[in-house]
Amino acid sequence: MTQKNVSSSANNNEKESLKPINPILRYFYAIISMFRTNIRDYGMFIALIVIFILFTISSNGIFLTPRNFSNLLDQTAYVAVLAIGMTLVIVTRQIDLSVGFLSAFLGAYVIVAVQVYGENLFLAISVALLITTFVGIIKGYLIANVKVPSFVVTLAGMFIFKGFLMIRTDNTTITTTHPFFQAIGKGYLFRGFTIGGYNIVALGIGVLLIFLLVFTSIMRRRKNQQLGVQNEERQIYLTKQILTIFVLAVLAYNLAAYNGISYLFLITLVVLVIYFIFTTKSTLGRRIYAVGGNPEAAELSGIKVSNTLIIVFISMGILSLIAGLMYATKVQNTSPQHGVSWELYAIAATFIGGASAGGGVGKVVNSVIGAIVIMSIPNGLALTPDSNANIEPIILGSILLLAVIFDIYTRNVRPVDLVGMYYAKKVHGEELKKAKADLSAAKAALHKAKANGEKLIDYEYALTNAQTSISKIKNMIRIAQEEEFMDHKIDNDPYIPDEL
Amino acid sequence: MSENKKILVMRSITKTFPGVKALDNVNIHVDEGEIHFIVGENGAGKSTLMKVLSGIYSHGNYSGDIVFNDEIQHFNSIKNSVNKGIVIINQELALFPDLSVYENVFVGHEITKNSAFVNWVETKNQAKKYLDMVGLKVDMDQNVRTLGVGKQQLIEIAKALSQDVKLLILDEPTAALNENDSENLLNLLVELKKKKDITSIMISHKLKEVEAIADSVTIIRDGKVIIRMDRSEINQNEIIKHMVGREIDNIFPKRPKYKGGEVVLESVHLSSFDSSLNRYVLNDINITLKKGEVVGLAGLMGAGRTELAHSIFGNVKKYKLTGALMINGKQVHLNHPHDAISKGLSYVSEDRKKDGLILIDDIGQNICVSSLKKISNRGFINFFKQAFFADKYVKDLSIKTPSIYQKLNNLSGGNQQKVQISKWLFAEPKILILDEPTRGIDVGAKYEIYTIINDLIDKGMSIIIISSELPEILGMCDRIYVIAEGKQAGEFDIDEATPEKIMHSATTA
Ligand SMILES: Nc1ncnc2c1ncn2[C@@H]1O[C@H](COP(=O)(O)OP(=O)(O)OP(=O)(O)O)[C@@H](O)[C@H]1O
Ligand SMILES: [Mg+2]
Repeated sequence: MTQKNVSSSANNNEKESLKPINPILRYFYAIISMFRTNIRDYGMFIALIVIFILFTISSNGIFLTPRNFSNLLDQTAYVAVLAIGMTLVIVTRQIDLSVGFLSAFLGAYVIVAVQVYGENLFLAISVALLITTFVGIIKGYLIANVKVPSFVVTLAGMFIFKGFLMIRTDNTTITTTHPFFQAIGKGYLFRGFTIGGYNIVALGIGVLLIFLLVFTSIMRRRKNQQLGVQNEERQIYLTKQILTIFVLAVLAYNLAAYNGISYLFLITLVVLVIYFIFTTKSTLGRRIYAVGGNPEAAELSGIKVSNTLIIVFISMGILSLIAGLMYATKVQNTSPQHGVSWELYAIAATFIGGASAGGGVGKVVNSVIGAIVIMSIPNGLALTPDSNANIEPIILGSILLLAVIFDIYTRNVRPVDLVGMYYAKKVHGEELKKAKADLSAAKAALHKAKANGEKLIDYEYALTNAQTSISKIKNMIRIAQEEEFMDHKIDNDPYIPDEL
Repeated sequence: MSENKKILVMRSITKTFPGVKALDNVNIHVDEGEIHFIVGENGAGKSTLMKVLSGIYSHGNYSGDIVFNDEIQHFNSIKNSVNKGIVIINQELALFPDLSVYENVFVGHEITKNSAFVNWVETKNQAKKYLDMVGLKVDMDQNVRTLGVGKQQLIEIAKALSQDVKLLILDEPTAALNENDSENLLNLLVELKKKKDITSIMISHKLKEVEAIADSVTIIRDGKVIIRMDRSEINQNEIIKHMVGREIDNIFPKRPKYKGGEVVLESVHLSSFDSSLNRYVLNDINITLKKGEVVGLAGLMGAGRTELAHSIFGNVKKYKLTGALMINGKQVHLNHPHDAISKGLSYVSEDRKKDGLILIDDIGQNICVSSLKKISNRGFINFFKQAFFADKYVKDLSIKTPSIYQKLNNLSGGNQQKVQISKWLFAEPKILILDEPTRGIDVGAKYEIYTIINDLIDKGMSIIIISSELPEILGMCDRIYVIAEGKQAGEFDIDEATPEKIMHSATTA
């Protein structure tokens, strides 16, 4: 890169006089640089942390107790599962407004079959699965092949399933008593296995997850090295690992300190892991994102766009069934009142998670975080003394807007390296001072020329010359990278061997 | 000559993108009333320079001065530059396809009554005046969508004239035009220069045009000005030498004469009915392609060549097809590009942004998207392989990019095209259809692409080239079909083909 050469040749002779930056300062600069450079990826986590902190304060600490934490995750479960499906829908430039009532209807279908008609549970679930697959095919077909806009198709679906829900529940609330429903909605994985009040399974899974994450991240670093992708610096990598381990440990601890891992949480986690792998690693996932990125090009690349869309809507349907059952078993009943606005929560979660309505962009993990953000609002408000629960939609709407505005503003963030800037400021400080002095001189001269009524063009030249040299120096400082000022390259990865 | 007034001076312009220095201390000037060309390889920085000039990259996003009419300009948007009389016509035309011709001329600066209501009568009169100026004779109530690119281009110029343009900037205006339309456009520019004293800056990869009408040329390479030449010094070979930094004697690399082979692709009485247009876009086409042969499809813009490619390549536009398509002597029914690919066909589409590439994805993802099987194992992608192949093609086709993870959005037009070609080479086809393969590509890269075509032929591939550039057709093909108004209007062996014969068949169907 030409830029580097310019500045490094300029400061070759000054290098000796450069004192290395204080290592602690360097560390913080590096961390902040990493944050600023990747702000898009961290924005949502920051939002989540801020919301958690605010509610923890407002609820006098109740918000973050193991019990509430567990509850919050269980409350989030159905929205999270819907949001995962919705991510793919939105990635492919579509929308699904029908999932709220579809979920509620499917939940009602299964529960009524078992509780009212005494049908076999697995038969009922299988039939529901068939129904929802069929519905997915119809939706997908109408959208992809008949080219009815998805907004219209699913708006119609929304009304239709609302009707089916009312019919299926016969406009009454039906309570769940079947042990399976009780277990799913209220049960925990090996609840009894505790030591000193802590659930062993939760701790165990926590530890396992931590190991898995550390292991995969090491593998990724190794792979990056093979692929020739720059790995992040070791200090930053370790910091991130420690933070992740910390978060996971807090999560595991909180769950273990309460009743352990609820089935609702477990199901969400399993769905998330499956979809994460599916969307990031599988060819089908790749096709879905390609269709979202440019449908015409995808079609001409041999991707069957309409089949892909149908698959996306089937997936949405299956997740709707899961979400519907999760919700009904959690509240232990099915009712015609269920399903209202669920689709909107799912859509909001997806957009808060950074998906783009333009298509091709969206991550399932981020959508789940978006779901947690959304669901912590009613939860946190309920725990806040003297708060008005009615402001929940206002907060939700504002967060959604802020999230999307943030997304737009951070679309063109440039990488920064504060350490490099630190050195560059040292090296170019004098020059900058001089350039600034030149600028004010030029300004003054222009001013005087104006007053005297002279021809201005030469003074204007001088002025922009001065401005240009300032902006050149500033730019040089802004894009400076630490390596330019080092005699040796920073050791990126001391412990990973070079061979495959 | 040198006492000519400099209407524009751009001084020490530097513009960087993350990881790329697109313009490095560029100095150019343009004299009043001249036609100035900017030429250079793909990714040299030509479009970027014009975007700086026209305020698309606003003041503060670059360093250096723009001096226009002896005043330093700080444009913050296109609007500012238009107010000063600088109008840019980008390669992607900025017309509204569903508005009428006259509405398009004045959209954005409507003629009003009481500054609130559009004065349609006056709008029409004025539009007529400007359309006459550019010599466009069409029904002004027509929607722009129904017009060819050449005419749309003229509407853009009429629009510029209506904005009182002093300096007209055209970024590769002729890339999508056929010879006739290109010539018209060039003549128009000369006329505007003479009659209205309009200065123009034009970017083009067609050096013939430079020879024909340029008063001066600036050659840019790697973001730096290499040289400025005046009228008297302009000559193609010199330009090429400065552009690519070496000499290219024959832009069309030689290939041994075609010796014949079995037919690999044949269309038998192929007709395509487009139900949305309610007419036949292709009528009784009988063409053959033999193994190891390069067949050209010549014809005017909109003659049906792309429609033919679409009909063959899995009937993407869902025409009603009659007749038969034979591959290796067997009839095939290709109902989706997927079927076509599995039969060994590839199609490099003419509109790379719309039909060819996923601009928000990176190079590797784009190259691999049509051949996911090759980089995956049991449905899971091997990213190592993806990176490997991306790297291979970036090197093989010398795609200019800071890394294989660069998003296509951030590549220059020519480099995007190379990615598109890589994608289809990676599919390892037996039959390759290239639709305007060198549109917007610099001479050096053109030469590379022609060399690649010859290599592929050497390996036994068969290739169809659709091109509006006759020299390309004549330089690269073994046999040529002419298509006119959806019908087959002629067939020539390369030895008997001449530009006159081809143009004659293309225009008298
Ligand atoms: N928005 C952007 N972000 C990052 N890099 C960019 C961006 N726009 C252009 N570039 C890079 O800047 C360089 C100059 O691009 P530019 O489009 O000006 O080339 P060009 O001379 O017009 O090429 P072509 O003949 O292919 O159109 C290229 O290397 C390109 O990749
Ligand atoms: Mg360009």
